[in-house]
Amino acid sequence: MRDVETRPKRYERLIILALLLASLPLILGFSLLVLSSLSTEMITNLDPSSFHLTLENWINLFQGRIATTGGIRVNIWRITLNTLIVALGVAGVVTGISTLAGYSLSRIDFRGRKTMMVLLLVLHAFPGVALIVGVYLLYRLTFPQNYEVVGLYSFAYVILARAALEIPMSIWLMKGFFDTIPWEFEWSGIIDGASRITVWRKIMLPLIKPGILAVALFAFLAGWQDIIYVRTFLVYPTLATFIEANIEAEYSHMPLIAAAGTFYLLPTIIFFITAQQLLLQGYSGGIKG
Amino acid sequence: MRKGKLRDLSFFLSPMVLMVFLFYLIPLVMTVYISMTRMRNWNVDRYLTEFVGLYNYERLFYMFQHDPTFKAVILTTVVFVGITLIINVFGGLALALATFFIDEKPASSYRLLWLLPRMSPIAVYSLVWYYFFHGSEIGTLNSILMSLGIISEPIPWGQVTPWGAWSVIIFVNGLVGVSFGMIVFTSALNQIPRELVIAARVDGASSWQISRRILIPMIKWHLLYVLTWQFLSLLTTYPHLFLLVQWDLVNRDYGTTLALYVFNTAFGRGEQDQGLAAAAAVILSIIGILGGFVTLKVLKFEKMMKKPRGDF
Repeated sequence: MRDVETRPKRYERLIILALLLASLPLILGFSLLVLSSLSTEMITNLDPSSFHLTLENWINLFQGRIATTGGIRVNIWRITLNTLIVALGVAGVVTGISTLAGYSLSRIDFRGRKTMMVLLLVLHAFPGVALIVGVYLLYRLTFPQNYEVVGLYSFAYVILARAALEIPMSIWLMKGFFDTIPWEFEWSGIIDGASRITVWRKIMLPLIKPGILAVALFAFLAGWQDIIYVRTFLVYPTLATFIEANIEAEYSHMPLIAAAGTFYLLPTIIFFITAQQLLLQGYSGGIKG
Repeated sequence: MRKGKLRDLSFFLSPMVLMVFLFYLIPLVMTVYISMTRMRNWNVDRYLTEFVGLYNYERLFYMFQHDPTFKAVILTTVVFVGITLIINVFGGLALALATFFIDEKPASSYRLLWLLPRMSPIAVYSLVWYYFFHGSEIGTLNSILMSLGIISEPIPWGQVTPWGAWSVIIFVNGLVGVSFGMIVFTSALNQIPRELVIAARVDGASSWQISRRILIPMIKWHLLYVLTWQFLSLLTTYPHLFLLVQWDLVNRDYGTTLALYVFNTAFGRGEQDQGLAAAAAVILSIIGILGGFVTLKVLKFEKMMKKPRGDF
């Protein structure tokens, strides 16, 4: 239910058309990328004659042949796996911490609670760039001497560091979800003699499943799309750094990079289609832009 | 505080406290410290203990006065934040109002579409605009304008300084920010009582009049919120600009804001000067923290924080 039924219909088409016009660069840009991934050459100049349908780019991408000539190969599945590990890691850490902290900020009255919430808001407004120099120094100072654990260490570090950026807002979001649950559920548990931890685990967690899902989804996308942190901390390539490196490389076949880009975009599109309501709601919690 | 409560609280809060400590507090102290050393090329062994006091801040100040590159960065930051902020707030407002007045189905499709810039991976998003604004005839914008006969030669958009580079970075980042305003305003508009709109409609008010006289005045708080929040965000975000500069789509000096300058000075190609970068980062943080507290005061966030009901 938006505007009322009494509104004049004649302007509606005009507004829709104006919106379409404003969205045109967006639609155009993304569709050209997807089309290019299915074509033998990049389609950027709206010339239909440059479009020749082929699946070659996708086949080559999945086989890791990034140049049409020469034997330069990458293991795209390994790169995807790296991206996925970071994204799932960030989602896990963020969801866990914000489910814990969100509960206590919503339900337990303690000294410093208000201060803590204000601080979280300020932290969210805090410039990530101001931190990254210090975060990197910490990374260097704790860098393992043992060569074998370097990979593991860089994964763990990038996940924690990236998750830290998402935590303030996720806790606020989670607190909001806990706030909507009636106190009666909790009281019944406490009167039966359960501790707060038991109540949280047995009663509250099942009730806020949608909230957990929303927070996890956003954290996943944040980890999935990140370029700055993975490029600074991770010793392995991800899809983001793969695209970054290949756009300038002499040997790369650009439609294949377009295919890689489209492939990288897939989770976003899937979430778009399956979790529309969740996305629109969750974002109203506010995320930096 | 009872013993059980303390145990509960530490169970719920310690992971968060640990993360904040590790990834906010310690790095902040370290950044301040690095800003007072001669650290370069991450040569920790050599420079970590070489304390130089406020030397880096003096250098920044000197560069601010005399270095044309740094002057360009500052100017870009001011123009970028100012104009993008206006686009974000009014673009978001326009989208929210426009989708308010149309059917729910097209409205939600448009809202989703405008979330795309924010949701898509930064590398993909940059790739899209890389081809759109490409300076040769393969660039989408160039080819459209050329086939329409508006221009005869391709224009290297991002390399035309200053306004070409500024337009590209403002456009690209503006699209990302618009969705934030759109979502906040949409949820605010949905909370306005329907009776007000119905009454105005019955009295024969147009959509424009309803927007101006009823809707916009009622979402003033949200306007202020988006304005201050986006200001802080724009001042300090840089990932969406990073690749545009990296790929030479936009001019290096006039496509770099102070936040990106910090990142590139610390981690970029060529000469890495972490001492200088840290000093600039500290200045940005001071602005960020001050801005954050001003936001809280102006918007009276504390009033929104009610005590938990029935905690015992």
